Amino acid sequence: MPFPNVRLSNRPLHFIYLCDCSGSMAAQGKMQALNQAIRQSLPGMAEVARENPEARVLVRAVRFADQAAWHLAEATPVQQLQWRDLEAGGITAMGDALNLVADALQSPPMEERALPPVLVLISDGQPTDDFDAGLANLMRRPWAQKAVRLAIAMGHDADLEVLQQFIGPEPSAHGKSPRRPLQASNATTLAQYIQWASTAVVGAASMPASRVTAADAGGPNSPANIPLPDLPPTLLDPSDDVGPLVW
Amino acid sequence: MSPRWQHLQACSVIGAAHRRQQKPCQDASLSVELKGRDGSLQLLVVADGHGGHRYRLSHRGSALACQVSQEVVEQWLACTPLADPERWRQWLKQELPTTIHQRWLTAITADWALQPQAEHEPFSPLLYGSTLGLVLLAPQWWGCTGIGDWDLSAIDQQGQAALLSEEREHSDSEATGSLCQELDQQLWLPRTQLHPLEPQTDLQALVLSTDGVRKSCATDADYLQLCAALVDLRDRQELEEGLAHITQAGSGDDVSLAMAHRAARPRRSGVLPAGSWRWLLLLLAASGIGLGAWLITRQETPLQAQARQLCANPEQIQSNLNQRRAQFKALLEQPQLASQLQQPTSTDPLGALIAASQSGPIPGCAALNAELSRQWQRARTTAAPAKGKMPAAAAPAAAPKNP
Repeated sequence: MPFPNVRLSNRPLHFIYLCDCSGSMAAQGKMQALNQAIRQSLPGMAEVARENPEARVLVRAVRFADQAAWHLAEATPVQQLQWRDLEAGGITAMGDALNLVADALQSPPMEERALPPVLVLISDGQPTDDFDAGLANLMRRPWAQKAVRLAIAMGHDADLEVLQQFIGPEPSAHGKSPRRPLQASNATTLAQYIQWASTAVVGAASMPASRVTAADAGGPNSPANIPLPDLPPTLLDPSDDVGPLVW
Repeated sequence: MSPRWQHLQACSVIGAAHRRQQKPCQDASLSVELKGRDGSLQLLVVADGHGGHRYRLSHRGSALACQVSQEVVEQWLACTPLADPERWRQWLKQELPTTIHQRWLTAITADWALQPQAEHEPFSPLLYGSTLGLVLLAPQWWGCTGIGDWDLSAIDQQGQAALLSEEREHSDSEATGSLCQELDQQLWLPRTQLHPLEPQTDLQALVLSTDGVRKSCATDADYLQLCAALVDLRDRQELEEGLAHITQAGSGDDVSLAMAHRAARPRRSGVLPAGSWRWLLLLLAASGIGLGAWLITRQETPLQAQARQLCANPEQIQSNLNQRRAQFKALLEQPQLASQLQQPTSTDPLGALIAASQSGPIPGCAALNAELSRQWQRARTTAAPAKGKMPAAAAPAAAPKNP
């Protein structure tokens, strides 16, 4: 008797950008830098996806300004992705963006076999709506609880406290950690962080490895299920010279 | 009388991702028939090492988990009648988790002492982290227990599969319960079951699998369809190839299956004339003896037979292996010897066993594997023989025939 023929599937890995498109992002080329960083990261992300065929990397993007909306509504295989530029203008409806993502992280539409999603929140300011309600709504979803949640602060006006709330409890150890907001002070560091999230983190999240309970795997204060890769060496220390401070 | 268990199979296949990354298979599995005073008990075990740098010896942890499970069940069987399912139920719930956990910790601690990195790195059970699922199949009952994200499905006489046991504790994450955690019986209890078996019990087969199998299927319905269809699969090569396809097209994780079937219910199709019974019984007895002998010789490889003999007298394992010190060293010096020793035509089963153990634990008892590891460690640390000289005992043809 031949081996049973049943439907097999690699596991979807949803990668979702949440991009601040408020008016302040138009200043000092921040919006342009973000568009460029994401666009430049796509070939590397596609390469990581090719090297990990057991994971199907699907990208989506939310933009938030006066309100939140899907910029890339369809979960798109990274190999087919053509990035359309985001445009700045308006206030910072970050809580609304979290609500939007919360809706997408329900099962269905989330597949029961999906890998933990990767959520990357990028902002240069402070939420102008009810961030706490949005975050609470998001964190009620089991898929959000098991997601890898990263945050990138663009410039010194970003609200590090809300970004840390999005990521989860701050690590007890001192020093740089991907479980703290990553502070991008110019286009170069922003591009490095985006590249790291879209390659190293996607690679780690694609691994079909079991792990012991989250607390055992990442330390007592680690909420994450995925052991995050180290940040690139040049980003470990904020005093590293990675370009002029422009934001 | 309840139909007997038959067609036991266990198979582990390296995941497509691990093969690509040149990592070892971190799954282990076994199916074995254990003889008790009042009958046979069949045992199915699967174990899934966690993989990743933090758990980098988990391929050894899963293999040791299978061995320890067999030893623990064997010892309990020696002193507990199968006809007393209540004692077995209590044992599964209360004593087995503690006993397996302690023995596994002892086994991995002994294994760690033989690792080269043990001198400059502190020991942690996390290194060996593994799940463990086991199913016990007696003539009148079956039971299961374990820890972690393994799955157990039952197939009824109509060919319908149903999930009997899955890990719910960590369903909101990718995490799993593990032997490398501190013992928490609350993690074992939800996975512990014992059910009586009657002739009319609607159970055709049980399928135990590691999480890689279920996660490779598009949906749970596909997983159950797979389990139901496996009932009719008898060819081991097809099973291995099928599992390799599953991991390739699915999760990429290592995949293990262990399963057993109940013989079809006896059917009353007619009555034999008086006197024919005696001849029939004689015929059955004769063919049973022949079949038994054929099965023993056909199913057990020389290496397995050698391991069984050594494990039957664990106090003699060390002295038997001490006589082969030169062979351990020669295998380190001349890797091509391993393939010679493991040729089907080799007349040195102990040599074949030693050669096979060079790449990791072999099927056998923990005592044998611990001593093999110790011998390898000693061979690595003592001076190598002069180049070009092969110790007499290392040559396959020159090796003694018995350990």
